[in-house]
Amino acid sequence: MIGRVTQQTLQRSTLANLQSNLTRMSNLQGQMSGGKLITKPSDDPAGAAQAMVLRAQQRTTKQYQRNADDGLAWLTTIDTAMQSSVSTLRRVRDLTVQGGSGALGPTSREAIATELEGLRDGLLDLANTSYLGRSVFAGTSDADVAFTDAASATPYSWTGTTGASVQRRVAADTTVRADADGVSVFGEGATSVFALIDDIAADLRAGTNVAPRLNEIDARMSTMLGELAGVGTRYNQLTTSQSDTAVTLQDLTSRLSGIEDIDLAQTIVELQMQEVAYQGALGATARVLQPTLMDFLR
Amino acid sequence: MSTFSGISTALSSLIAQRQALDVSGQNVANANTPGYTRQRADMSAVQGSSVPTLWSTTPAAGNGVRVDTITRMGDVFLDARVRSETSASSYQAAHADTLGRLESQLREPSDTGLASSLQTYWADWQDVANAPGDTAARMVLIGDAQSLVSQISSGYRGVETQWSQLRTETSTLVTDVNSTAQAIADLNAQIRSVTVSGGNANELVDRRSQLVTTLSGLVGATGRERADGTMDVMVAGNPLVTGDRADALEVQGSWTMAGGLGEPPATLDQVRLVWASNGTAANLEGGRVAANLDDLAPAGALGGAIQTWNAVATNLANSVNALHGAGQTLQDPPTTGVDFFSVAAGVPAALGLSVAVTDPKDVAAANPASGALDGSWADAIAQLADDPTGPDTQWRSFAVDVGVRTRAAEQRATVLEASRASAENLQLSATSVDLDEESVNMLAYQRAYEGAARVLTALDEMLDTLINRTGVVGR
Repeated sequence: MIGRVTQQTLQRSTLANLQSNLTRMSNLQGQMSGGKLITKPSDDPAGAAQAMVLRAQQRTTKQYQRNADDGLAWLTTIDTAMQSSVSTLRRVRDLTVQGGSGALGPTSREAIATELEGLRDGLLDLANTSYLGRSVFAGTSDADVAFTDAASATPYSWTGTTGASVQRRVAADTTVRADADGVSVFGEGATSVFALIDDIAADLRAGTNVAPRLNEIDARMSTMLGELAGVGTRYNQLTTSQSDTAVTLQDLTSRLSGIEDIDLAQTIVELQMQEVAYQGALGATARVLQPTLMDFLR
Repeated sequence: MSTFSGISTALSSLIAQRQALDVSGQNVANANTPGYTRQRADMSAVQGSSVPTLWSTTPAAGNGVRVDTITRMGDVFLDARVRSETSASSYQAAHADTLGRLESQLREPSDTGLASSLQTYWADWQDVANAPGDTAARMVLIGDAQSLVSQISSGYRGVETQWSQLRTETSTLVTDVNSTAQAIADLNAQIRSVTVSGGNANELVDRRSQLVTTLSGLVGATGRERADGTMDVMVAGNPLVTGDRADALEVQGSWTMAGGLGEPPATLDQVRLVWASNGTAANLEGGRVAANLDDLAPAGALGGAIQTWNAVATNLANSVNALHGAGQTLQDPPTTGVDFFSVAAGVPAALGLSVAVTDPKDVAAANPASGALDGSWADAIAQLADDPTGPDTQWRSFAVDVGVRTRAAEQRATVLEASRASAENLQLSATSVDLDEESVNMLAYQRAYEGAARVLTALDEMLDTLINRTGVVGR
C-alpha cells in the first residue's frame, strides 16, 4: 500500500515543492529589496542581540563625540583667556620692574599705578570670561561673574564651589575636566592676583619700594603657566579621544552592517539559483501532470 | 442442473460488471473531491447449488458472480495518524503565529524601537549635563521622556489588542468546534440508519472523517469507530460526540486582558475551556484552541510580554528617580527630592508611568554639593544606559528571548507540518483515486461484460440449436 502514487498525491507534493520554492524566493527577494538580513529578532537571534548592543554603543559613542566637541570649545576659550592673562601679567611685571627703580618721580609712579589698575581690570575681565553664558573659571556657578570686582563688599571673591568642576564624559569610564579652577589660576580675595596688583599700585603711590613684589608676581605667573599646561594636556586628551571615538564609530558601523546587512553579490547569486530551481520545478510540474493512461486508451 | 442456469450466470456477471463499472465511474468523478476515499466493488463467486440427492453425480458449476459490498478503501490507522499529527502541528503553528505577531510588535532591531528611544533619552541627559543652564536641552529631555513613556504604554496596549483578538478568535473557534461536533453526531445517526438498512454510507463516512480531522486541528480530537458504524469523538479524554449525541465545550473567563492576566485593578479570571454539560475543565492535548489558551494564560507568551513592559516601566522610574531625587534642580532656591517619573498606583506600571517633571527647571542635573550649574548628576543618570540591571538590558534580553522562542516555534512548526504532510500523503496514497488504475479497471469490467454477453450469445445459440433444429431430420 505504501508507495502507491496517484494523480492527487503527485499533485499535492508538486504543489508543496513549488510552494516551498516560492517561499524561499520571496524571502530572498525581501532581503534584496530591504537590504537587511535581520528585520526581526527571530531572523537570527544571536545576530539580533549583537545588533542591538552595537546600536546602543553607536548611540553612546556619538554622544561621547558631542561631549568632546563641547569640552574642546570650553578648553579653547580657557586657553585663550589664560594666554592673555599670562601676557597681561608679564606687562604687570615689566611695569613693576619699571616702578621699582628709585629714579621715578611721583607723576611717573602715578602713571604706572593707573596703568596697573587698567591691567587689573583687563585681567578681571579675562577671569570672568564666559562660554555660552557660563563662567569658564567657575564652571558650576550660576553667578554673573567668576570674580567680584574691587567695589563689591568682598573684593575679588570667587563665586564658584570649591571641589566642583565641569566634566565631559568621553568614554564609558573617562571624564575630562572642561573648566579651570579660578582660585588656582587667579587666587582669591586678598591673596588674588587682582589684590596683588592693587597692592603694587598702592605701594607705588605711597612711594614704597615695589621690587619685593616681583617674587609674588613670579609665583603667580608660574602657577598660571602650570594651570595652562594642565589645560593643554586636557585639550590634547579630548582631541585624542575624539579621533578614537571616530575610529570606534566607524568600526561599530561596519560591524553592525556586517551583521545586519545582506551580502549583495551572494544574495543576487542565491536569487538567481532559486529562480532556476523554480523554473525547473514549474517545467517538471507541467510535464508530470499531463499524461494519464486515458491518453492511450481508445 | 437446469438448461437455463447458464443464462442466469451470465446475467449475474452482466449485472456485477455494470455495478463495478458504476463504482469506477464514481471514483473517476470524484478524482479531485477533497476527502473522497476510493471505493471498490467486492465481487464474490456464487456457490453452485448443493448436491440434490445422494446419487447425483452431476458436478455443478457455480451460479455466477455477486457484488457483496462496495468497500471504502480507507484505513483507520492512517486516519488516526493524520489526526494526531494534525493536532500537534496545528498547536505549534498557532503558537508560532502568536509569537510571530508579538515579535513584529517589538520593532527590534531598528531605529524606532524602544531600545532606540531609551538610548535617545539617556543621550539627552548627557546633553543636559553639558549645558545644565540651557532650558532647551531640558525641554528636549522632557519631550523625549514623554515620547518614551507613550511608547511604553502603546507597547502595552499593542499586546493587549493582540490578547483581545486571540480571546475572540478562541471563542469563535470553540463555537466552530461545537457546530462541527453536532454535524458529526447528525452524520453518525444517518450512517447508522443507512448501514442498518443495508445501504452504502461511504460518502457520509468520508464527510465525517473530514470533520473529525478538522476537530483534531482545533481541539486535538481523536476518533473511535464503533461496531454500528458510528464514531465517537474524544477530546481531552472525554467524549465530545457519542453516537448521535454531541456534548459542547465552552470558553469561560475574562474578555479583557486585565482580567485574563490579573493585571490591576482587575482580579485574575483566567480564560479556560470547560464542558458545557457539567462545567469540569477540559485540558486539551493539542490543536489550535489549546495553543491559544496557553498563550492567553498569565504564564503564556503574551503574559510574559506584559510583565516585561511593566518591569521596564518600573525599573526606568525607580532607577531614574533614585538618582534624580538626590540631585538639585535649577529652581530658585534650588530644591532636591524631585521625582522625574511617577507611577500611578492601582493600574499596570506600563500604563501608570508618566513624566512627573513639567517645568524644565525641575530637572535635577546638579550635585547639591557642587554649584547650581553642575551637570554631574545628569551624567550619572545617563550612565544608567550601561547598567547591567537597567531597563535597556532588560528590554534587550526580552527582545532576543522572544526572537529565540519565535524561531524555535517556527522551526518546530515547520517540522511538524512536514510530518503532518507526510502522514496525509500516506493517507492519500491509500485513499486517493488513481486514474490509471481506474482506466485499467474500466477496461477489465468492460471486457468481462463483453465476455458475459458472449456466453449469453453462445447459450442462446445452443438453445436455438436444441429448440429449432432438433427433430427436423429429413425435413
